[in-house]
Amino acid sequence: MADRKSYDVVVLGGGVNGAGTARDCAMRGLSVLLLEKRDLASGASGASSGMIHGGIRYMLSDRKVTELACRDAGYIRRIAPHLVFRIPFLMPFASRAEEASLAERAAWYATEVYVGTYDLYQPLKGGKPSTRLTPAEMYALEPSLRPGLGGAVTLDEWGIDGQRLCLLNALSAEAHGAEVRTWTEATELVREGGRAVAVRWRDLVTGEHGEARAGAVLNATGAWSPHWGRLNGVEVPMRPGKGVHLSLDRRFSNYGIICRAVDGRQMFLMPHEDESIIGTTDDDFYGDPDDLEATSDEVAYLLEGVESLVPSVRRARVTRAWSGVRTTLYEYGKTEDALSREHQLLDHAPEGAEGLFSFVGGKLASYRAQSEEITDRLLSFLGKAPRPCRTHEEPLPGGDAVADAHELARRHGVGEGAVRRLVYRHGSRAREVLLLADDDPRLKLVVCRDEGILAAEVVFIARHEKVRRLEDLRRRCRLGIAGCGGLDCARLGAQLVAHELDWDGDRLRAELHQLLEVNWRERRAVLDGFQLSQEELLRAVHRGLGEV
Amino acid sequence: MGRVRSLAYLGYRALVAHPLRRLFRQGSGSERFLASYAPEGLSPTSPDDRAAGEAASACISCGLCESACPLAAVAPSVRDLGLHAAFRLYSKSSLALGPGAEGLEACSSCGGCESLCPTGVPIARLVRSFAARARGGAPA
Amino acid sequence: MAEEAAPILCDVLVVGGGMAGAIAALAARDAGARVVLVRRAPGSTGLSGGAISVAHDPSALPEVPFAGRAGVVESARRVAATVAGHPYQVLRDSLDRLWNAVEFASGQLSHVLAPPTGRNRWLLTPFGKVHPAATCQRSMVAGDLAEARGRMAVVAARGHLWWDAGLVASGAARARHLGAPEVQVALLDLFMWEEAALARPVDLARLLEAPGAAEQVGELLAERLPRGSTVALFPPVLGLTPEARVAERIEGRAGIPVAEFLSDVPSVPGLRLQRAIDLRLGAAGVEVLRGEVREASALALEARVGGRKVVAKSWVLATGRFAGGGIARRGELVEPALGLPVLASEGPFAEAGARLAARSPWALTVRDSRSPQPLLSAGLKVDGELRPLDAEGRVVNPRLFAAGAVVGGHDQASDGTGMGVAIFTGWLAGRAAAGVARAQRALPGVG
Repeated sequence: MADRKSYDVVVLGGGVNGAGTARDCAMRGLSVLLLEKRDLASGASGASSGMIHGGIRYMLSDRKVTELACRDAGYIRRIAPHLVFRIPFLMPFASRAEEASLAERAAWYATEVYVGTYDLYQPLKGGKPSTRLTPAEMYALEPSLRPGLGGAVTLDEWGIDGQRLCLLNALSAEAHGAEVRTWTEATELVREGGRAVAVRWRDLVTGEHGEARAGAVLNATGAWSPHWGRLNGVEVPMRPGKGVHLSLDRRFSNYGIICRAVDGRQMFLMPHEDESIIGTTDDDFYGDPDDLEATSDEVAYLLEGVESLVPSVRRARVTRAWSGVRTTLYEYGKTEDALSREHQLLDHAPEGAEGLFSFVGGKLASYRAQSEEITDRLLSFLGKAPRPCRTHEEPLPGGDAVADAHELARRHGVGEGAVRRLVYRHGSRAREVLLLADDDPRLKLVVCRDEGILAAEVVFIARHEKVRRLEDLRRRCRLGIAGCGGLDCARLGAQLVAHELDWDGDRLRAELHQLLEVNWRERRAVLDGFQLSQEELLRAVHRGLGEV
Repeated sequence: MGRVRSLAYLGYRALVAHPLRRLFRQGSGSERFLASYAPEGLSPTSPDDRAAGEAASACISCGLCESACPLAAVAPSVRDLGLHAAFRLYSKSSLALGPGAEGLEACSSCGGCESLCPTGVPIARLVRSFAARARGGAPA
Repeated sequence: MAEEAAPILCDVLVVGGGMAGAIAALAARDAGARVVLVRRAPGSTGLSGGAISVAHDPSALPEVPFAGRAGVVESARRVAATVAGHPYQVLRDSLDRLWNAVEFASGQLSHVLAPPTGRNRWLLTPFGKVHPAATCQRSMVAGDLAEARGRMAVVAARGHLWWDAGLVASGAARARHLGAPEVQVALLDLFMWEEAALARPVDLARLLEAPGAAEQVGELLAERLPRGSTVALFPPVLGLTPEARVAERIEGRAGIPVAEFLSDVPSVPGLRLQRAIDLRLGAAGVEVLRGEVREASALALEARVGGRKVVAKSWVLATGRFAGGGIARRGELVEPALGLPVLASEGPFAEAGARLAARSPWALTVRDSRSPQPLLSAGLKVDGELRPLDAEGRVVNPRLFAAGAVVGGHDQASDGTGMGVAIFTGWLAGRAAAGVARAQRALPGVG
């Protein structure tokens, strides 16, 4: 018996734009269904650089955009204070010759002025002012930089866990009455008389299917849009670009470093949570976004780019290479990076699908503003009375208060190292997690010591954070993705989730296999040095003993 | 049009506003930088710290070291996270060192851990170095 | 200039202290050689799970009952026939002596290892899988699914989350039609205080060694044992040393045989095995040096250990693979101790030779993690006498032998032959090295 319900809006895609729009629509009183064929943030949103930046590059074209972007970054910091962290960047100056030319010095000054002007907007997002550093000062702050540089300018930005940001938007949407279905594919768009009237869906875990009648349909499936559009008779033009990042096993430095790749593109090595990441490639990608892997060439490209400024990065342990496909607007002829990442909401009415809109482009940092704009448009299309957006005021789950890790660790008798990570991921809801451990002391066990994941956290996530597959835990709490690759945590985490979700042994092993397989595909291209030693041990346990 | 105006404004910043700002600000570049970031724990990584991190990177989380660590059995701060967490979790980020200090300080440098490490991590030396960093002093 | 310490002289120098190195040293000692074993650390044998996996039949259909499966040596022959480049294939002319090696090893380590029977034992893992092994630790024998009769009770410790008895039992339940016994979960109030709940397996093993602890567990078990149970299967924490007799003490009170299932990492059985190896090396008169081999030369077979020169008539290189450090990848694949070429692997690159080392990890791996992975099976290429070969296929040095995971061609971590290859190559290499040393001694003016 198929499920049939009606909604004002059906959102396709559980990335940050889909989840953000579902939240905004639900907060403004619309009935919403969100369909995601995999897990929340399993596409580009979860594979972004994880930054909430203030749009410094728009100062060249329109300072208003920079101001809006900084203001919005401030809003995100307000609604999810636990999830953002500061990243100071160094932009070192390199000259071609031993002595910098006059033109180079002028360019450096121009950079200093440019970033100095950005400082005017920094207060909007709680950023710190920039500074020009002499070479001696720069080397004192970051001794790993290669000799012969002409100093640096500093820049302040925010980092964020983009995967949890998506999740929190989805959870908030649900709290406001939306229905969120993960691992549920939108199989077909139903049209009647030139209108999009419903979406048929199929649950990929249970096989259930249904039809959702919809006042409006938002296609926010990112890189999957062109294919989904073709299947359903509409065109979603875009330029998909594959972006690969590398993770290091630890923070290389507390400061990010802006570098240049061999082809002149800008790259970075930056601290992100307790690791450092290197990013990013940007190449046209017309393959299947479900079948995405980084190659050794891409890994080499990234390492060489960073090595040009930070030679010792070669000795760092690269733990994985992860990739996503970002969507940019359709335009030919420019190199990928110069393409605007601006967004667009396409109306498919001319193609005989009135009520279907596709969102293309955009960036993680502007997701809230983008969602607001989309919701405004949907409200007016549905002929509903305009209601004010409040997504910048109401905190996301856990964002209402900042929890004190030290105090919580003491009160609940749990290692502070683990509580610190718990508080980062869950904000004020860390307290609820620790209450579980008070009731059952076994849940104080640290499941993953690389990430500081408590058994209680796994249980909490399985109960309250829309977990349907074990691999969802990768995005909820980074289960199995740190340097150890799941050696400590994969089986234990799987057992805990299986208990909560009532999986039998075969399901548990299948889920474990799926998790480890995804992890393996991210490590394949980077197996070198001690990560290869780690792989041997992992393989002995998971393949040798677990046959998973 | 917007672009011309933007460039004109940046020109004004370069020729007038920025020189004035440079004139009136206080302290050296690195002093201002550290005043912004050091209070939040975002301090520089010295070559010694980085070398310690590189040595710790050899850890493959096997836990053999713990079997020879008398503290792992008795000190909750070590037991909860395990000895190898001392150089996995705590050393991943200088921001994580503080919470680990207690466990690191408890180490008596018996070296039992090190003699078991299959990848040759100089564990006792690293624990001393991280403990010193957690205290805010120079590495021993 | 400081006076140089006297060089260490011996017949056979074994580099590496894992299973392969230990068996090589013991075999050489058994053949009358003076043996020095150098190791950086005890090696990754301490991470093994309790099983001595030698070979299982790659061609066996999954529905064939345990009793109908090929024996261990026959299985190894089938591996040799089907897996290109596998050490069993390289050593196929010697495979009739594989069983001598396995019996030698289990005899030397009889302290912890049960005598092998010639067929595989089928042991449960924490993942609920059934794992074949030529032999296993004594504390595991009663858990052999092919031998156990009646009903098996898998013990769930209510106070600890580390193992899921239901998951373990599900493995046996799925193997019912292969000859596994009936299985059920016995929930015991074990480790019920907070300290124990958070203890790691090693600490739990220590807890059970304490006077009275195992007896208490035995009484609990007797109370809670499901009716008709004939054997109780525990998590692998029944004591760090066999002397503590944890399993026997539980059996004494519960009145039925007790066994452990296999362990993943961290592994109490692995530590037990490592200790047994250390004890045996000492008792057999092998001199064990801790340190790294430096300034080693494959041609001269000279090296320094901790500042002292070591002079040996023959060498056995048993340095392991990636975890042990015998093979490393630093931009390309290298053998760090002697700079030997890395030429052997499994799968499409089995014959690739010199082109293997510089290939990217991407090119040396396969997307499906369950497939053989050339990168993970990379190592030295050896001839039928375990002498490392150079890129031209020539023996590097007739006095140099390799054993264990440093020899490539098998995915030692996961293909179920890792321990078997370690024991077989260790035994062959140790005897060959002793033979070379004896011949050298017989020559006037050498040594």
